[in-house]
Amino acid sequence: MAIRVQLDRILLERRMSLTELSDRVGVTIANLSILKTGKARAVRFTTLDALCRELECQPGDLMTYEPGPSEAHEED
Amino acid sequence: MRALGPGSVSSFLKIILDVIYVGLWVWVSLLAIFTVAVLLLSFNPELITSKLHIGSSIDELISKGPLFAGALGAWALLSGGWMVIVERLRRVFSTLTAGDPFHPDNVRRLRVVGLVLAALEIGHYIFAALAKWLAPDTKIVDGSFSLSAWFPVLVVFVLAEVFREGARLRREAELTI
Repeated sequence: MAIRVQLDRILLERRMSLTELSDRVGVTIANLSILKTGKARAVRFTTLDALCRELECQPGDLMTYEPGPSEAHEED
Repeated sequence: MRALGPGSVSSFLKIILDVIYVGLWVWVSLLAIFTVAVLLLSFNPELITSKLHIGSSIDELISKGPLFAGALGAWALLSGGWMVIVERLRRVFSTLTAGDPFHPDNVRRLRVVGLVLAALEIGHYIFAALAKWLAPDTKIVDGSFSLSAWFPVLVVFVLAEVFREGARLRREAELTI
């Protein structure tokens, strides 16, 4: 996936654990792990809103685009 | 009308499928027993003619016995094919009642149903050709091409593709945070 999620870095900067973020945003640790490891296929605006609110950041801080092979059709 | 649970269309269909499945088991078992019995009696017709006063002569029974057994065996095979279809449909229904109709396995199950339907139709032609060759004076089955028999095959393969897309969307939904 060409989209890289920078959740690890932001959590480290905020000195916040994944469990704490999970409690604050109401997303399970399993789902946050999927997001953190770059396995997620889509992010809801409500989730993004909660993440940005609790991490005090912009959506662009959470995600960056790095040109690479697309995985859009890898499961077809 | 409710989609799931007691009194729903799916529960009604599930009962029908269960009844058909059990009925087919009994039917196939009986056919298999009859096939073996006819085959054995064709080798020793005195077994039946000594007990029952049947119209046909011993020679006719000896000559037609294997043919009858073949016809019954083919019928049992055909019924076995229907059993495979009903069994797969039952499994598809179990995923529906579990609330997960777009399970990836259902795509394979529907494809199997389509393939078995096609195989049954081809087997029907082969059986008709063999019957015509072995017993030209009797018309056991009609082996003419029927478009209405092939249409369900097309429908099932189209549905399998729809389920494939459904399974992909399900996977996407699972990975949506």
